[in-house]
Amino acid sequence: MSQEGLRPAETTGSGYALPVFPYRRPAELAGERRRHKVAVVGGGLAGLTVACDLAGRGIPVVLLDEDDTVGVRGASSRGIVYAQKTLEIFDRLGIYRRIAEKGVTWSVGKVLADDDVLYSFDAAQGSLSKAPPFINLQQFYIEWYLVDRLAELPRAELRWRNRVTGITQREDHVALAVETPDGPYTLEAEWVIDASGLASLIRGALGAKMAAEQGEDRWCISDVRFKKSLPAERWTWAKADFNDGRAVWQHPMADGVWRLDYQMGPNADPKTIADPETVRDRLRRHLGETEIEIVWVGPYGYRTQLMDSFRQGRVFFAGDVAHVMNPFGARGGNSGVQDAENIAWKLAAVLTGAAPEALLDSYDEERRAAGAHNIHVTTRTIRFLAPRSPFEHRLRDAVLDLARRYDFGRTLVNTGRLSVAFDYAGSSLTSNGGTAVPNVPLTLPDGSTGTLSDLLRGDGAIFLVLCFAGAAPPALPERVARVFACNAAIGGLPVLRGAALDRLGGTGEVLVIRPDQHLAARLVRPPGAAVQAAIDKALGKERAR
Amino acid sequence: MRTDAYIPDADGFYEAIIAANEGLTEGESEAFLLRFALLLANQIGDQQVLLDAIRTAREMVAGTPRS
Repeated sequence: MSQEGLRPAETTGSGYALPVFPYRRPAELAGERRRHKVAVVGGGLAGLTVACDLAGRGIPVVLLDEDDTVGVRGASSRGIVYAQKTLEIFDRLGIYRRIAEKGVTWSVGKVLADDDVLYSFDAAQGSLSKAPPFINLQQFYIEWYLVDRLAELPRAELRWRNRVTGITQREDHVALAVETPDGPYTLEAEWVIDASGLASLIRGALGAKMAAEQGEDRWCISDVRFKKSLPAERWTWAKADFNDGRAVWQHPMADGVWRLDYQMGPNADPKTIADPETVRDRLRRHLGETEIEIVWVGPYGYRTQLMDSFRQGRVFFAGDVAHVMNPFGARGGNSGVQDAENIAWKLAAVLTGAAPEALLDSYDEERRAAGAHNIHVTTRTIRFLAPRSPFEHRLRDAVLDLARRYDFGRTLVNTGRLSVAFDYAGSSLTSNGGTAVPNVPLTLPDGSTGTLSDLLRGDGAIFLVLCFAGAAPPALPERVARVFACNAAIGGLPVLRGAALDRLGGTGEVLVIRPDQHLAARLVRPPGAAVQAAIDKALGKERAR
Repeated sequence: MRTDAYIPDADGFYEAIIAANEGLTEGESEAFLLRFALLLANQIGDQQVLLDAIRTAREMVAGTPRS
């Protein structure tokens, strides 16, 4: 995520016991010459997700990480909120159950000003997905589960303590210079995904352009345990009297730890705000007299960064390397996971020969649009939380005042618009699709219960075609799409059953769903050729012409 | 955005605004105007009209804003 410690002023209290993964001497150092299909640089959230997704699709992948553990700088937990689309992806990748068992599932949020609850929301209302709206969990646990999952996948190789020090793009591959405990070697890969974070060496070495802006707003995280019992909800104070009229965040996560995040004065000195006594005093003002155990304290500022292009030749950029935003809305980590899913199915489609290489251009098109959108949304939030002029302060006071009394005022209060799946409506891969299809629960043709994403697992990049009563069954090659009838018998198609399915489509409709569970097209009583055409478009075959 | 005369009793409206600000400090009057503007914005409920009104008001005071 985008939080940066300004100084190493963080305090590690009773931290976490993190795993250490073994370094193994790479085959190249034993003289073996290899041309890898895909190399992923960086074992953070985006890098591990893309490796897991590729390997799950049967694509050989090697991941390089300079460290030998998960998490950053010891016990800092970075991202904590995982939103529905991300949870659906993790379900497909096979780590959802562990996340749900370890994390805190929640859907209720409250927005406060001092002692007043301005409004509360329940994100579970109207949700069609089997996944809950949110689970809070320390980021390193997610990374850990991904590493464990990768160990089960024969197509994946993890190389710990392999630090990339240089990159050369060639006609048909990329050469990475890699440093290891046994010395340097060159790794060759047809495609590279750089997921090495906001200080990426590769991005710099390739001279990729990027717009960046550093803000003055300062915050201080205190991850703490305490005796007092609080509801498992997201509480955000637009202003809190116990924090000198500034904003405060209160979020539960695993192991009984709470993330309390306090807005500080503009340009506040990180050393001062993270001073142990100051921190304890701040916590007492917030929580009252209760036994407090400090797990981690981290002062931070944030910047905004967006690469001009998420692709440079054979290199794709995913996660923080490509886009950085403030953390209010949990859009950093969640969008990194969506980057990963987007490039994974496209590379799988190209490497299995199902799609032309032109499909890969759409990664930049779709995910850069998402990055720009997320930056726009989070920047609006911070303009509300950190007014820049006396006028902006007074305008916000008026909004908070109105919000205490009227519904419409509440819509103007912005303490973060939580991450949702990006809508690819503007993408060249679709003419009337783009939205994420919720992972509805259903009964599979064999009578077992499952969800839509169960139908998307397997090698390559498979499309899903859902036919509703009144539509004709399209004939499609099996390696391209799996075709089902929904709550009706349609020409011998296998039938999916479930009440939620009828919320996805109506009489005569055919939904064409991409491997990332976004809608490619919604067609009404289409001839079979129209369904094939929608799939061809979603595979970039129009772009290739 | 409409700019033809549409307020039913213009003099009465003007009188009411003045009366409401009677005895207020400059800061209080600004607070009044902000709340008044936000309440009215919600009555309009048409994004394009609101954006046109914002742009027009800005231009009348200090020209086109940087965007």
